[in-house]
Amino acid sequence: MTVIGAVDAQNLVDALGLGAIYGLMAVGIGLVFGVLRLVNFAYGQLIMAGAFTLAYASRAGWSTWQAILACFGVVIALSLVMEVTVFRPLRTRSPAVMLVATFAVSFLLQSIALLVVLKVQGQVGIPASTVAQLAQAVTIGGVDVRKVTIVALVVAIVALSGLALLLGKTTVGLQMRAAATDFTTARLLGVSANRVITLAVLLAGVIAAAVAVLLTASQSYVTSDFALHDMIIVLVGVVVGGIDRLWTATLGGFAIGFTRGVINGALPTDKSVYLPSALFALVILVLILRPAGLFAGGRSSVVDRV
Amino acid sequence: MRWTRSLSELAPPALLVVVVGVVGSGTSPARQIDFQTALVSVAIVVALYVFVGNSGVLSFGQISFAAVGGYAAGVMTVPVELKVGTLPALAPLLRDHTIGNLPSLLLAAAFGAVYAALVALPLMRLSGLAAGIATFAVLEITHNILHEWTKIGPGAGVLSLVPETTGMLQATLGALVVMAIAYGYQRTRFGRQLRATREDPAAAQAVGISVHRQRLIAFTLSGGLSGFAGALYVHQIGSLTADQLYLELTFLSLAMLVVGGATSLWGAVVGALAVSGLDSFLGQAESGVNIGFTLNLPTGTRLVAVGAVMALVLVLRPTGITGGREFSLTWLRQLRRKERTA
Amino acid sequence: MTALLELDELEVRYGAVAAVRDVSIGVKEGEIVGLIGPNGAGKSTTLHAIMGLVPTKGGSIRLRGSTLAGKPPESVARLGIALVPEGRRIFPQLTVDENLRLGLAGRRSRSGAEEDIDAVQELFPIVREFRRRQAGVLSGGQQQQLAIARALVAKPDLLLLDEPSLGLAPKIVDVVFEALAEIRRRGVTVLLVEQRAQRTVAFADRTYLMSNGEIRLTLTPDDAGDTDRMVAAYFAS
Repeated sequence: MTVIGAVDAQNLVDALGLGAIYGLMAVGIGLVFGVLRLVNFAYGQLIMAGAFTLAYASRAGWSTWQAILACFGVVIALSLVMEVTVFRPLRTRSPAVMLVATFAVSFLLQSIALLVVLKVQGQVGIPASTVAQLAQAVTIGGVDVRKVTIVALVVAIVALSGLALLLGKTTVGLQMRAAATDFTTARLLGVSANRVITLAVLLAGVIAAAVAVLLTASQSYVTSDFALHDMIIVLVGVVVGGIDRLWTATLGGFAIGFTRGVINGALPTDKSVYLPSALFALVILVLILRPAGLFAGGRSSVVDRV
Repeated sequence: MRWTRSLSELAPPALLVVVVGVVGSGTSPARQIDFQTALVSVAIVVALYVFVGNSGVLSFGQISFAAVGGYAAGVMTVPVELKVGTLPALAPLLRDHTIGNLPSLLLAAAFGAVYAALVALPLMRLSGLAAGIATFAVLEITHNILHEWTKIGPGAGVLSLVPETTGMLQATLGALVVMAIAYGYQRTRFGRQLRATREDPAAAQAVGISVHRQRLIAFTLSGGLSGFAGALYVHQIGSLTADQLYLELTFLSLAMLVVGGATSLWGAVVGALAVSGLDSFLGQAESGVNIGFTLNLPTGTRLVAVGAVMALVLVLRPTGITGGREFSLTWLRQLRRKERTA
Repeated sequence: MTALLELDELEVRYGAVAAVRDVSIGVKEGEIVGLIGPNGAGKSTTLHAIMGLVPTKGGSIRLRGSTLAGKPPESVARLGIALVPEGRRIFPQLTVDENLRLGLAGRRSRSGAEEDIDAVQELFPIVREFRRRQAGVLSGGQQQQLAIARALVAKPDLLLLDEPSLGLAPKIVDVVFEALAEIRRRGVTVLLVEQRAQRTVAFADRTYLMSNGEIRLTLTPDDAGDTDRMVAAYFAS
């Protein structure tokens, strides 16, 4: 009962913010999965690269906007490099090989980050102060809302509506939806595989850059395992929600972020030590009862192929 | 005929492991640690291979069975008089008993197998990504419990003063035992049926193979071998924390398996030895090594290079170094012929 | 008349098995050419090889004299070949109209696209009537018409059809064959893979009979009554 009592408006607002960020990450993972049938485990390291860009930009004394611009540039460029050097050669391989390959990439990028930071700074992380002002709070109706929460919600809403428009109203969006259901037939109709995949990777990259800014605003000390744990949790949320479709994946990401936010705020630390076990036991239960995802309607076409 | 085939497939990886053991024994005690680590990695990766390689289903859970085995073996072999000091909260049954080296290895295998069987009963109904995430959840739960529950172990602290019984001999023999069992299994009817479900689940089911039952058997066996490997691990290092048998080792062992070639025992052994070898060579290079000239790499290069090599192998040769096939002479001959024509 | 499509000693292998061996077929501009044979004869594989879905092991595939080898499916589609795949492969979650518009991806030029959509909708009125519905709720025959319509809006020079009459009611089969005749009148060349041997032989300008990966017979409409020859070729190994 104390748990419920401790959930207040403040807590819910923070949880919404985390849910929005995780929901965005879920969109990034779901977009690429849709066209490549690839779970990109290195997605978290794209976010990390963005966070490091922000950190180095603030060391160099760049303005906030310059830093954010640089962050988008680096993350998008890295996404495209990843697509050309890793995803493209492995496109026809089994999902297991692709997943392990993205592990390797993730491991590689983390090691590079660690090497660079250790070599240059002699310490494990560097602070990114340039976007820290986003973490400041404004008071709305007696509730302290951090600016980053508002920004996260706005970004999530804008990104999702933009994406919905792109997928629903444009030719290339239609092609992406078709490719996500049946890539071979889409290609037979003349839909360019490279174009559709590059666009998906690009969009996922843009989202990763936005997430990097949002995450760096709330945890401004950047280390080589930045966003790694968030990525794992989002991945769980995405599969539990239903990776087969973009909206169920997104909902799964949002749900797990929101739940995590509520619980983090509501429980005293000494009571929450076994919380991960309880949560993951719940995850197993959901997967056994609904293997295609909590929000997916009965079918399990894609997941079974993997 | 069958005997010669078994011999020609099992002998080369076994021989390779023996060579590593013998060469390792001739080196300085400090270097021996690298060789022991490589051999224990072989045990861990082959245990993983028994399930992942034969079934084609990815599991992130196998290291949790190694962790359970490692903790069981570790906690039970710390001398009673030392436990009071290092593990004050331990349950009386565990606190007041100590067992020897061999019983602890067997206990670890039994724990791993039982735990894996319990997990497998519900989980093996899943396939694909759902199975992957569910096994990952098992890893998280295991880690969480081992990290917090001080009645069964050190909790967030270090399990120390474990007898270091895994020397060169035990590491080599341990790896060989795991390999022999893994190979024996894949030649049984069960092993062949599971491999059939990997190649074509629908066809396998159509001829009456129970995918669920075959995966369950392999998962349990793999869990038992992982537990055993975990015991080898704790007895090699002499101490253990919950983080050592968690995410990083999970990814590293999966990567070793895939780099070597996930669908063969030969691939599992080659992958484990190649990545461990590279890792320890680069570890040396970070403190300066002479290979004709003195190679001196900055700290941290090791991880970068291992990551880069893993990524490269996977991109350029996704079936792994061995192509996922068992060692065979015809394969060597073909390779040589190809080289000649190329 | 020059040859639009030319297969010369085509060979396709799946591992050790030769699915298609020494197949030489010529399709001239404006023709309807049939390809019949039992299940597993290699008919679909031949179409897949043309589209670049499976790699060829030997021989050549030429469109207007230039080779298609190594081209990915989307490039082949944009060179003017459209495939109506076996089992229709429409996108069930998309609307009928969206399915149709996906066919535009294979066009070489955007100009005239709307007119072509109109023309195709005239040919298959159900495609217009149900354009806002989810394609998945259409009947099998309607889905087949949609699949053909979708291929046609790419304005192909050559239309490949893989067993379009499979699983359709006789009345709908008539609709499909009538549509094919009309399509030819509009200047599209057709290569038709079918199981309905007699009907295909009677309908096409020339029909090849394939069995065990090889061409066994070449038939003209006059041979349509000659069942003995066809049966012999079907079951010869």
